[in-house]
Amino acid sequence: MMDTMRDDPTLVALVLAARDGSQTAWDQLVERYAPLVYGICRRHGLAGMDVDDVGASVWLRLVERLDTIREPAALPGWIATTTRNECLRALRARQRTIPAEPDERLAADDPPFDDWLVAQERGIALRAAFAGLPDRCRRLLSLLFADPPTPYSEISAAIGIAVGAIGPNRQRCLDRLRRDPALASLLDGTEVAR
Amino acid sequence: MSDDSLLEELGAAVRDAARVPESFRAAGRAAFAWRNVDAELASLTEDPAAVGTRAEPAALRAFTFAARELSIEVEVTADALVGQVVPPRPGRIELRTGTGTVMASEVDEVGWFAFRPLPTGMFRLYLQTPDGSQILTEWVTL
Repeated sequence: MMDTMRDDPTLVALVLAARDGSQTAWDQLVERYAPLVYGICRRHGLAGMDVDDVGASVWLRLVERLDTIREPAALPGWIATTTRNECLRALRARQRTIPAEPDERLAADDPPFDDWLVAQERGIALRAAFAGLPDRCRRLLSLLFADPPTPYSEISAAIGIAVGAIGPNRQRCLDRLRRDPALASLLDGTEVAR
Repeated sequence: MSDDSLLEELGAAVRDAARVPESFRAAGRAAFAWRNVDAELASLTEDPAAVGTRAEPAALRAFTFAARELSIEVEVTADALVGQVVPPRPGRIELRTGTGTVMASEVDEVGWFAFRPLPTGMFRLYLQTPDGSQILTEWVTL
């Protein structure tokens, strides 16, 4: 699972820096994977303190494992598996009925875990690539992907470019996003149901 | 993939991340303070064995943590965590919880130690022996 992360040089660099004691690198790892850990907890129907407990447990175990992770690129898979196990443990501790398949707790329209994980992987790469864009691009794209989308007249006023320049700028920023190496390896034309 | 779908997927990904509470991230960042590169890590060798029945909320359990030259055996009793360093040696042992509290106890000449009351949630043990070794166990959860 998540094998495409093997191509992500940023991730390898972050793990190596954290191993050398860099809190900044560690913070970036947390920023990158917190949505994955949190999302897995929510998928297992956990809330409140249970989610905090699972989170604490996963991060503390990861701090432990930093020195022994042989293949830093295997980290996302390790995080997903560890989080899933901790969620099941939390459910057992609460003596709730455990379904044979964790997916049985889900709403009928939620995708299966493996598909969901692939979408998460794309989300992680998208956010990392987005974070690497210039401020101007991040502001423009944020206004454009807002739900509901911001009208062009408001975008024009907010960031001071002509309405006619929004389309070309949007394209330039998205092209730049696509050039992110880790994201490029994932964007092979497939689209994943979220 | 079209620009429209890319933008839509990006927006959904950014909104996903925005749903994560800041306190959840902060706890993750704080976990780095637990890093200890000087101590040898002792790993759990057996899955916690449930001795009690399901009806008992506090089922009795036993754990073994193995380091290169010694192991730490731990048993959960009704009101305490008792254990032994094997092969026996004296020292000082700490019980550290996930929330940051620390309890200290002496390990006697035959390697025995005890912690009362029982910890709740996640904990790990940190052993210092007179010859200067430091052993840190994996985290376990009761």
